Amino acid sequence: MSHYQLINLALVLFPLVGALIAGLGGQRISNSLAHTVTILGVAISLILSLYFAYQLFFQHGGAYDGNLYLWDLTGKFRFNIGFLIDPLTVVMILIVTFISLIVHIYSVTYMAGDPGYKRFFSYMSAFTFAMLMLVSANNFLQLFFGWEAVGLVSYLLIGFWFKREAASVGSLKAFLVNRVGDFGFFLGIALLFNYFGSLDYYQVFHAAPALKSATISIFPHTSYSLIAVICFLLFIGAMGKSAQVPLHVWLPESMEGPTPISALIHAATMVTAGVYLVARLSPLYEYAPSVLNLILILGATTALFMGFVAIVQNDIKRIIAYSTLSQLGYMMVGLGASAYAAGIFHLVTHAFFKALLFLAAGSVILTMHHEQDIRKMGGLAKVMPMTYVCFLVGALALAALPPFSGFYSKDAIIDAVHASTLSAASYAYYCVLIGALVTAFYIFRAFFLVFHTQASMPIKHYQKTTWIVKLSLIILAIPSAIAGFLLAQRFLNVPGLLASSLSVLPNHKLMATEHFLSTATIFSGMGIVLAWFCYLQFPAIPAWTQKHFSWLYQVLVNKYGFDAFNQAVFANGGRRLAKLFFNVDAKLLDEKLIDGSGRRISWLSNVLRRLQSGYIYQYAFIMVLGIIIFLLAYTLRT
Amino acid sequence: MLLQQFAFFGFAFLLIAAALMTIISRNPVRCALFLVLAFFSAAALWILLEAEFLGLILVLVYVGAVMTLFLFVIMTLNIDNAEKQYGFVHYLLPAVVSVLILLALLIYAVYPLSSTTGLLALPAQASNTQALGDILYTQYAYPFEITGVLLLVGIIATIALSFREKRLNKAIAPELQLKVKASDRLQIIKMPAEKKK
Amino acid sequence: MIPLNYYLILAATVFSLGLLGVMINRKNIIILLMCVELLLLAVNMNFIAFSHFFADLSGQVFVFFVLAVAAVEAAIGLAILIVLFRTRHSIQVDDLNRLKG
Repeated sequence: MSHYQLINLALVLFPLVGALIAGLGGQRISNSLAHTVTILGVAISLILSLYFAYQLFFQHGGAYDGNLYLWDLTGKFRFNIGFLIDPLTVVMILIVTFISLIVHIYSVTYMAGDPGYKRFFSYMSAFTFAMLMLVSANNFLQLFFGWEAVGLVSYLLIGFWFKREAASVGSLKAFLVNRVGDFGFFLGIALLFNYFGSLDYYQVFHAAPALKSATISIFPHTSYSLIAVICFLLFIGAMGKSAQVPLHVWLPESMEGPTPISALIHAATMVTAGVYLVARLSPLYEYAPSVLNLILILGATTALFMGFVAIVQNDIKRIIAYSTLSQLGYMMVGLGASAYAAGIFHLVTHAFFKALLFLAAGSVILTMHHEQDIRKMGGLAKVMPMTYVCFLVGALALAALPPFSGFYSKDAIIDAVHASTLSAASYAYYCVLIGALVTAFYIFRAFFLVFHTQASMPIKHYQKTTWIVKLSLIILAIPSAIAGFLLAQRFLNVPGLLASSLSVLPNHKLMATEHFLSTATIFSGMGIVLAWFCYLQFPAIPAWTQKHFSWLYQVLVNKYGFDAFNQAVFANGGRRLAKLFFNVDAKLLDEKLIDGSGRRISWLSNVLRRLQSGYIYQYAFIMVLGIIIFLLAYTLRT
Repeated sequence: MLLQQFAFFGFAFLLIAAALMTIISRNPVRCALFLVLAFFSAAALWILLEAEFLGLILVLVYVGAVMTLFLFVIMTLNIDNAEKQYGFVHYLLPAVVSVLILLALLIYAVYPLSSTTGLLALPAQASNTQALGDILYTQYAYPFEITGVLLLVGIIATIALSFREKRLNKAIAPELQLKVKASDRLQIIKMPAEKKK
Repeated sequence: MIPLNYYLILAATVFSLGLLGVMINRKNIIILLMCVELLLLAVNMNFIAFSHFFADLSGQVFVFFVLAVAAVEAAIGLAILIVLFRTRHSIQVDDLNRLKG
């Protein structure tokens, strides 16, 4: 095979090898061997992806799309295993391997002393493998494999401390909600295969313009655009993975897992798989404007309303989790406005600063001896200066203040929505604009409460932060600060870095240039000032608001009732349905029909037993009756 | 003509009355005697039907042998007939109703048959007995023989059922007594005398 | 002349009386056996009547055999009755329900 294929294979398989050694080694290998092997595997992948990046972006090599081998051939089903290396894939694998390496290194400290240390590293490398398979696939089947695999490893990692009930419940919830998304995803793939005849990206994308007016009739007397239905079903999968409303309910519970995986999976990589999906399938989505509208609406709703919920959270990881939900909404909004490049760019910057925020939160948690409630923290600025600075960098990037990276990407999205001509664009625009204020507000609320206010419960002995943690934070803080500035032109100009991977129809092309003092920046600044006002200057304001708007507070604390609804309708409904089936089966079928027929026969034989009394005269009587009946029948017939 | 009708209705009435009395009587001996009366009137009716041989046979065999047997058994068993028939009334009604229905059906079935044909075409011999004998020993010889065997079987069965061995008789059969010798009863054994110490 | 159906009705009547006797008799097996004789008598009457009215002697031959068999049956029935009396010391029909289910 060509050397591209070999490198690709190596890139994907080295983390898997690391995972297998660490996972199956068991007692035979030591903890340090486990983490060394996995870190080495991921590092090699990172180097190989840098090589690909160099080839593609600096040597201007072409994209590579090749099949490795034929996996299945039955009748008209022809499935290959192959890889696709184009700019979008290279960006994704760079992000995945880079963040994965940092998190691996960080976990050496964070998970030190945990009895499941080797298992943890094995799972993380397995996740890296699955994610790389997902983003480098060149057909939908392989994509689906990677999709399912990351869902599985996410379940394993959320429930890593499986002896805690909250963890196992949370992991199950994540998996089930993901499954709902996967169901839609699979239906979409099935439709694709049925109408396009193949699952290869190349063939599907080239057949799309021809089928753009095809319709499909799902219910009688209705007809929908085929591509719109397919895109909608695939988007359901993206909703599940990327936690858009209403399939977002699993992400907060996923914070039960260790902080490094919150950084890796639920901030930087797995949850962005949905965003990657829509961007990758832009040739299809361009022909489905109704679905783009839907993406806009859902994404904007998620962006704004999840931000509101983040304001009232008290667990530092939950705040950042809801922030992730909100930012995923932003990415979806960008995609919905056909600004795929902006959405992917925000994915890149978000990966950096969100992973940074999570790891910094992890550092805070370690220092506070695994305390996660921000009301119990305070005044940590002097205790952990390095973390303080890094958290500040991350927070500024999240709040999209120039010149940090978040500013470039978020502003691009907001401008794209503003210029979009889709029907939902104005709603989306106001949502993301207000969302900018809310974002700044909640993250700086956390910042002030953790680092600045007086420690409400000062503890005598803070855990010192190790050099590994500090190193990881610095390595992530640098791109959070400057990546936007450096890469914005490359991504956002037309044609940008990703032009060969994405396709935008002429009537959708819109990429306004950014300027520093846009409306969004003003909103963000206002958010920061408001947070400073409420939490540092006049701490009584939040308490007053909570008391007088308690109904609003309750709505936010209950997360708009999504969890309650799911519990009541799906969980309890499922239980009731199961109980109904149990009753029908056990009571009706088992007792009445099966046992009942046996009992009926016993009863009947008991009755018939009376006939045989042993008395001759009774027998004679019955004989006479029989004769009478025969004679009656005979005479009545003739 | 009139005599025939008179005879028929008289004997028919007698037959039915006797049968009724048979089933109603308390005393079993009276039941048996009423049954004898029924047989007599039946025999008379059969003679009216020109089946003289069978009418006579009915009296001789049935009354003479079978009813005698019945009376023997009644006497032998020495039944206490003072017991009342309890529960008599309870089951009477359904039984009577069903029998009446049966009777009605039977009468309904046979009522249309009113042919009055038929003088019996006698063969050359002028008596019923001879006519019967003619066909009994030629055409129906086989069933005749089998009936004989049946009677034999009946005898054996009856004896086998009711025969009882003599019991608890300590007498020994005489022939066995005569066969006994002295050596069967007495045996002399020589042994040395015991020496007293 | 007496029509055929008179004889047949007469025989039916005696037959029903015999059946009635079988059904209502509780106290005495001997009465039961006598009622069986009544049944047979009625049947014989039927045969003779038909034999007379169709001028066929085979009816009478049949009655001949029925008489013989009825005699044997009565004898054996009484023998069984005697054995029953020896063991149960009672000839009430009500006591003879050993064969009940």
